[in-house]
Amino acid sequence: MTKELKQIAIYGKGGIGKSTTTSNISAALAEAGYRVMQFGCDPKSDSTNTLRGGTYIPSVLDLLRANARVDAHDAIFEGFGGIFCVEAGGPAPGVGCAGRGIITAVELMNQQNIFEELDLDYVVFDVLGDVVCGGFAVPIREGIAQHVFTVSSSDFMAIYAANNLFKGIQKYSNAGGALLGGVIANSINTEFQRRIIDDFVARTETQIVQYVPRSLTVTQSELQGKTTIEAAPTSEQADIYRALAQRIALHTDSKVPTPLDAQDLRDWSASWADTLIAQENAAYHPHALVS
Amino acid sequence: MPETDVLLASRPHKPAVPQRTNSIEQVRSVCSIGAMHTAAAIPRAIPITHCGPGCADKQFMNVAFYNGFQGGGYGGGAVAPSTNATEREVVFGGAERLEELIDASLEVLDADLFVVLTGCIPDLVGDDIGAVVGPFQKRGVPIVFAETGGFRGNNFLGHERVTRAIIDQYVASYDPARDGAREPRTVNVWSVLPYHNTFWRGDLSEIKRLLEGIGLKVNILFGPESAGVAEWKAIPKAGFNLVLSPWLGLETARHLEKVYNQPFLHRPVLPIGAAETASFLREVAAFAGLDPVVVDAFIAAEERIYYSYMEYFTDFYSEYWWGLPAKFAVIGDSTYALALSKFLVNQLGLIPALQVVTENPPEETRSGIEAQFATLADDVGAPVLFEEDSYTIHQHVRATSFGHKAPILFGTTWERDVAKDLKAALVEVGFPASYEVVLSRTYVGFRGALTLLEKIYTTTVSASA
Ligand SMILES: Nc1ncnc2c1ncn2[C@@H]1O[C@H](COP(=O)(O)OP(=O)(O)OP(=O)(O)O)[C@@H](O)[C@H]1O
Ligand code: SF4
Ligand SMILES: [Mg+2]
Repeated sequence: MTKELKQIAIYGKGGIGKSTTTSNISAALAEAGYRVMQFGCDPKSDSTNTLRGGTYIPSVLDLLRANARVDAHDAIFEGFGGIFCVEAGGPAPGVGCAGRGIITAVELMNQQNIFEELDLDYVVFDVLGDVVCGGFAVPIREGIAQHVFTVSSSDFMAIYAANNLFKGIQKYSNAGGALLGGVIANSINTEFQRRIIDDFVARTETQIVQYVPRSLTVTQSELQGKTTIEAAPTSEQADIYRALAQRIALHTDSKVPTPLDAQDLRDWSASWADTLIAQENAAYHPHALVS
Repeated sequence: MPETDVLLASRPHKPAVPQRTNSIEQVRSVCSIGAMHTAAAIPRAIPITHCGPGCADKQFMNVAFYNGFQGGGYGGGAVAPSTNATEREVVFGGAERLEELIDASLEVLDADLFVVLTGCIPDLVGDDIGAVVGPFQKRGVPIVFAETGGFRGNNFLGHERVTRAIIDQYVASYDPARDGAREPRTVNVWSVLPYHNTFWRGDLSEIKRLLEGIGLKVNILFGPESAGVAEWKAIPKAGFNLVLSPWLGLETARHLEKVYNQPFLHRPVLPIGAAETASFLREVAAFAGLDPVVVDAFIAAEERIYYSYMEYFTDFYSEYWWGLPAKFAVIGDSTYALALSKFLVNQLGLIPALQVVTENPPEETRSGIEAQFATLADDVGAPVLFEEDSYTIHQHVRATSFGHKAPILFGTTWERDVAKDLKAALVEVGFPASYEVVLSRTYVGFRGALTLLEKIYTTTVSASA
């Protein structure tokens, strides 16, 4: 019987926790018995490191650079829980076109029917930083991912990046592109951070898929070259990633978000900045100290 | 049925103004990298193209083959090496491939100058061409580069980039102590666009002959009568630059003025026929401070021959007056469109009905071009239409009132259908002239004007058979 292949793309600002979150989602899905491929779309080629004991694998583009014809199987490596690990790779920094590199790598897998052949349940794309050009929008264009999730903290720069991504999704939505599943709110440890990110998703008409706190367990796991699921399977953080993976597995209906325009976004962040300053003033006010 | 023919030919001007289409049907210029022909037009220079497969070939077939069947010659056409950049060069950058190609070219090709031209791929991906070409230059290899990706504009602008690249990277500095003093009677000529202008070789030869006739030494720079890179090296030593076109070459002249403190004379009208040519030569002579006796003697000798032919020609002209066109349309690049209009109005008394300039001249040059057309003669001016799309152009041609006689069109092969429909005579004078074999033919100066008359009236008289 043929099953539905679910393709998911995870976007977000540089360094926000995409690879960490993606790898934990993949690991949790694999642990639950699914056949999963994690596809790193980042010239750094480090997406799948924590699925493979902290080691790097040769990327699709490394192989293409060396050979005119590449067998896609040569770019697939087994990771934790049987996860199929692939890195798109890219040119040396400062030369060539990394965006086109992503397109080339994704096309190669498609042309050789790898997803079908491996009988996958999930392909999870971990896509670099901001959507700077067409190449990095490939996973959200027609026929690749169906659902996009964005990792964002409550930092304004992260929210800007998420808002830009929403614009990209909105643009491609008329052309059969992927829609937005929601926001994975990473490093949310305080009520205030939660209020900011909640307000942002409310205004852009999307949802929080999961709040993920910042946790030392993640750091410790990463230092061992592992995901939290693998290194600390019984930890509270691991359960949070499992809950996240489950919600993604159950997720069916993605939507077109309503990104804020440049001015609205500026006004919106300014209003939160005012609130923040007021709060800090209140916190340091002598009355606040004695009370 | 003659009645309907007359009716058709004299139908009134249609008020409906053709709509812009936002597309270009039947191109009249090619992309920037078409300026590989600027390099190929310098004797013993060879262009090296860094572009996708097909870019260079397309330029050659368009500009140098189905346009007078001019051919590739020593360094153009099939000789020009290309990286044929593919996906690999897109993703990883094409610098290494280009370096490899230059190395290989140096081994198998013998040239005085190599000109690297880039297409869209390296320009978009951001290949650092200077970093590839620089080391070769440091080793003393005569090689320059110009970034000519298609999105930078057409081959006219590509031509400016290539000439600029050769001047800045190859001709470089001028030191009177080392290179000798300025030669006030030497001129650098910047005029028609090589290869794109179907008759450039003959035209440049005639211009060179004329300027030499009044006592100048001429760096013609392109074509069979150029001495090749030696002439280019001598550019800074020349007394002045002559720009013989409405705008092409003007930037180059301004640049040379800046870097070498070299004056320039801008004469927008490429001379055709005795009157314009004599006036042109006198202006140049005055600018260069030449001996008027020599100049007048040369002009007089040329005029004597020219008008002697005219005398014989008048028998035909007076006999056949009823069958000859009275109104004309000209569709071409600004240099030829202006030159022809001047000649047709002033020397043949034809009436300008439609003037289309097709090379999309830079915005800032347009009012100058319009001013030239506004003063074709003391009492004749004509508006100019700037348009690249042949569909729109042909709509304008069809909407133009040419009176009761069949008009004559000066245009390109693209005008064949509309000419047929209007029963107009068509003289193909520009890119693409796909059914003309052109070697040394010229339509400029004294001699070229006679050839042009032959062409015009052979076309009209043969249509009556
Ligand atoms: N919830 C968390 N708790 C603790 N540390 C975290 C958490 N999420 C991410 N990190 C840490 O943040 C750092 C950056 O994370 P990661 O590499 O996943 O980000 P990224 O978005 O993939 O970055 P890039 O854009 O550079 O690929 C890592 O050291 C990671 O361990
Ligand atoms: S426009 Fe670009 S791709 Fe097309 S021929 Fe010109 S250089 Fe090549
Ligand atoms: Mg990452």
